[in-house]
Amino acid sequence: MNYQPPALRRALAADYAIGLMSSAARRRFEQLLLDDAALRAELAHWQHSLASLTDPIPEQPVPEHVWQGITARIEPQVLHVPEKRPFWNWLRITAAVCSIVVLVFLGSLYNRDDARYRATLLTADAQPALKVQAHADYLQVEPLTLAAVDADRSLELWAIPADGKPISLGVIPVGGKGKVELNEAQQALIGKPIALAVSLEPKGGSPTGQPTGPVLYQGALAAL
Amino acid sequence: MRQLLAQCSLGDRRAFETLYRSVGPRLHGVAQRFMGRADLAEEVLQESFVRIWNNASRYEAHLSAPLTWMITITRHQAIDQLRKHRDRPLTEVEQDALADEGPSALELLNSSREASALHRCLDTLDGQQRQSITVAYFQGLSCAELADHLAAPLGSVKSWIRRGMERLRRCLES
Repeated sequence: MNYQPPALRRALAADYAIGLMSSAARRRFEQLLLDDAALRAELAHWQHSLASLTDPIPEQPVPEHVWQGITARIEPQVLHVPEKRPFWNWLRITAAVCSIVVLVFLGSLYNRDDARYRATLLTADAQPALKVQAHADYLQVEPLTLAAVDADRSLELWAIPADGKPISLGVIPVGGKGKVELNEAQQALIGKPIALAVSLEPKGGSPTGQPTGPVLYQGALAAL
Repeated sequence: MRQLLAQCSLGDRRAFETLYRSVGPRLHGVAQRFMGRADLAEEVLQESFVRIWNNASRYEAHLSAPLTWMITITRHQAIDQLRKHRDRPLTEVEQDALADEGPSALELLNSSREASALHRCLDTLDGQQRQSITVAYFQGLSCAELADHLAAPLGSVKSWIRRGMERLRRCLES
């Protein structure tokens, strides 16, 4: 179709401006417009004239959600769901890792049976003799290289605080392996800077409340 | 406003929001006039601003005023929507609403006694020419639909519009 005759161009521009064209005709006309500046000028002229038909139309306040709809359309990268996924994945991974760390930590606590302090008591010539683990209300003792103890003797464990006055923690079970229960006063000592010592006493422990025999082993109680 | 559109074409969101705040109510009024329903009008308004944002760089300042350009975009959106809705059978309520459009378009026109060139020129047209043009403009009706709507032969409607537009043109250029 020849679009050059001025009268035809004008008529088409008028039809387009007024909105009489079918969708297909409109698309064709819009294609022509792309390469035809004079046709665009012709159309703009009509549009300008016809737009004044809308002059008497009163303004109308716009609800706020319209603006939100617009920004959602022109910034899909911000509001689009896939954009959020990495964040949620990241959060999930972090949560999973945290859970594992907590479980492992709790598990290790459980396995250690909440042991908080440990001491390895040495002989006078620095040989490890006895291992002590301090729990909340008892001490777990394990022999390493204990000297043989006569049947009428006991090994007694002492706490030696900073002031140097030994406090009895109890008698070590025969054979050196087992638990030494702690009373409240004894429990209070654990965690303070103390040394542990083992003395050789009459069977059942020192009758005086202070060590009576030689100190065989000693070592500092350290936090785990 | 030209400045704001230019900034929009450079991706300036702040300028776009300023533009939206200033012409939104005007375009909303236009959309409401075309659609007659608040939800549809808001939909048209939203799509119009998305197009304004996306096409800001295509605005040709030497051809049209910014507001005319934006009203044209809104009107095209509205007409597209009206045509989409016309493609399915209309409900009775919508039929009535559509039937009411003609007179109200004329009333609107008559009620505005503005001295704009177009209105002065429209007054020089005879009734059928004026009605065809305004109904077509506000409803996006094709010639055939317009003939149907005005209950007049297609040939007559075509000639009313063609002659009406020519007279308008001569009047506007004089």
